[in-house]
Amino acid sequence: MSLMCLSYCSAFTLSSLGLTLHRTHLISALLCLESMMLSMYIALSVLPTENQAASLTLTPILMLTFSACEAGTGLAMLVASTRTHGSDHLHNLNLLQC
Amino acid sequence: MVMTYFVFFLGVCFVFGALAVASNPSPYYGVVGLVLGSVVGCGWLMSLGVSFISLVLFMVYLGGMLVVFVYSVALAADPFPEAWGNWRVVGCGVGLILLLFVGVVIGGGVGCLSLGVGTVDSGGVVSVRLDFSGVSMFYFYGVGMFFVAGWGLLLTLFVVLELVRGLSRGAIRAV
Repeated sequence: MSLMCLSYCSAFTLSSLGLTLHRTHLISALLCLESMMLSMYIALSVLPTENQAASLTLTPILMLTFSACEAGTGLAMLVASTRTHGSDHLHNLNLLQC
Repeated sequence: MVMTYFVFFLGVCFVFGALAVASNPSPYYGVVGLVLGSVVGCGWLMSLGVSFISLVLFMVYLGGMLVVFVYSVALAADPFPEAWGNWRVVGCGVGLILLLFVGVVIGGGVGCLSLGVGTVDSGGVVSVRLDFSGVSMFYFYGVGMFFVAGWGLLLTLFVVLELVRGLSRGAIRAV
């Protein structure tokens, strides 16, 4: 594995670990998701550059489009849960707790 | 050879940006890590030569999505926000770095590490840059996906409007 590949792969791994581990705010999870999208964008952009495949250059653009949709939906859910519970703390989302 | 080490430095800074977000500080400081990661990622892509992809990242990601995130971070107000000087955040960061090293060592990556910086040059008969010619294929060869992406964006607008609607007509809000 080249060092540049290790760079964005480890950025993706770190962000996904930050998504799974404990935190207080819902928006920290959304920020970790955005960081995963950023590392995937870099990976999809470096791939056609190294392989000199021009038509693969449209994949990061497409991925960015759907990532923008997902970010908007995530922020809408953040706003909805904040207006319901008063804050975006994750321990308030305990409807399924016994 | 100097530019190769510069790109390698940008790659290392990218990992630090991701670490700054993943160590879960207060969201005001998490956005700083994300901005750092995207600025360094843009510099990396520009050093490789794909300037159009880098500009798209800058304008759409940093100028569009991250600005919306920064405004939404105002919802997450802490009375005592934790920056990276806090012991919990430093512990998370150190633990994540150690986990990453263990993963790289076990995965056998230490022996076979090369530098691997490949750049763009004009290929083929017509001297057009790689990323410009590639993205312009989106509008002709990829026109089906183009319409699907546009329809998805329009649909997201209505999804967002439905999610934040309240007062007995909404899906999530109780009030």
